[in-house]
Amino acid sequence: MPTFTYMTRCDGCGECVDICPSDIMHIDSIYRRSYNIEPNFCWECYSCVKACPQHAIDVRGYADFAPLGHSVRVLREEASGTISWKIRYRDGREKAFTFPIRTTPWGSIKPPAEYAAPDAAALSSPLLAHEPAVLKVDALPTLPSPLEGEGSGERGTNKAATP
Amino acid sequence: MFTTNPFTPLTTFVSPEVMQGYIVLLMLAVLIGTGFDLLHDGKARFFLQDRQRARAAANRPIGSMDLAAIAAKTLVTDIATFGEFCNRSRRISHVLMFYGFVLYLITTLVMVFGYPSEPHPPMLLPLLWNVGVLLALIGGYWFFFLLRVNVVHDGQPPWRLVRADLFIVTLLGSLTFALLFEWAAMLGSATATKVFAGLYLLFTTLLCVSVPWSKFAHMFYKPVVAFQKRLEEADGSSSLPTPTAPRGERCPHSHT
Repeated sequence: MPTFTYMTRCDGCGECVDICPSDIMHIDSIYRRSYNIEPNFCWECYSCVKACPQHAIDVRGYADFAPLGHSVRVLREEASGTISWKIRYRDGREKAFTFPIRTTPWGSIKPPAEYAAPDAAALSSPLLAHEPAVLKVDALPTLPSPLEGEGSGERGTNKAATP
Repeated sequence: MFTTNPFTPLTTFVSPEVMQGYIVLLMLAVLIGTGFDLLHDGKARFFLQDRQRARAAANRPIGSMDLAAIAAKTLVTDIATFGEFCNRSRRISHVLMFYGFVLYLITTLVMVFGYPSEPHPPMLLPLLWNVGVLLALIGGYWFFFLLRVNVVHDGQPPWRLVRADLFIVTLLGSLTFALLFEWAAMLGSATATKVFAGLYLLFTTLLCVSVPWSKFAHMFYKPVVAFQKRLEEADGSSSLPTPTAPRGERCPHSHT
């Protein structure tokens, strides 16, 4: 379900370029409007659809489960903290849903830039940066190493200190 | 200074009638270029099809008073103050470019057609011409070097030019050489006046004849799209969800 841009609505602001986790939303060189440079690599996260202030980006559903004539549009409203969806079926039925954008207060999540930079030794750890503390657990379960698990058959627990 | 007719020095090279004919030809080039652009890649057909789709999906009748209110809102918000832009810098630069260019265009037309060989027209005209050129240049260079999206978001250097830059480059070239031509004429340098007059005419011609390939016509399309969008919101044909905020939220604070 790759994204596409309504060229007449896009004002070329570049918000979608910044937010796309696949880095596949780019600005075209003829009209300076956004476009999906590689639809096959789009994982339909809807980030660009929600971020576009002009609502110029839509998602084209695959014909086997999203027949022509339907629409799924989203509206993200930061001031009211809501994200609303409107689903229009090809027979004309409509469904609307509204959810909170998030369940924790704005600003309550520590951004990555505020964490200390991991040192080079962390590269040999199976844990990702700041795990397990960032996941609010003492330790993460891991598969036992061949020596550790020999004879016991138990799952090990990785207690590697995180930087 | 800045109170004399900037086009009087041109009359030493060409007659006022030629200047007037040249401007008429440029306006015709813009009209024909826009018409060609509308037809050759199906823009007009797309607009009409989209309007038909919206009409079929409308569930609220729109009266003539509602239409007038929507048109007024589009005029005030989307055209006069560029409310479409959420990014404040882009919005201000477009306001400067638009009003600067309109001032420059109107005063140029009045001076070329009303006072073609009069070195001292009403003082306000050359003054507004200079103000217009300066406003458009400030907005234009700000946009060109700092705000263009491939510069800011794609990290491209400002001197990398693509076809989308044709409009801004020819516009800036035309206005920059207009100002340099005026200064050279004021300083009395005949050679510099000729050179800058030639470059001014070259970039102005390019600006107007390149409409089918440049973004010139987006000045005409954007108001139509803004009107259509507001109409769809009013008649219920918009596929977007109904906003939860009483008057909606056009620009999230994180995008301003």
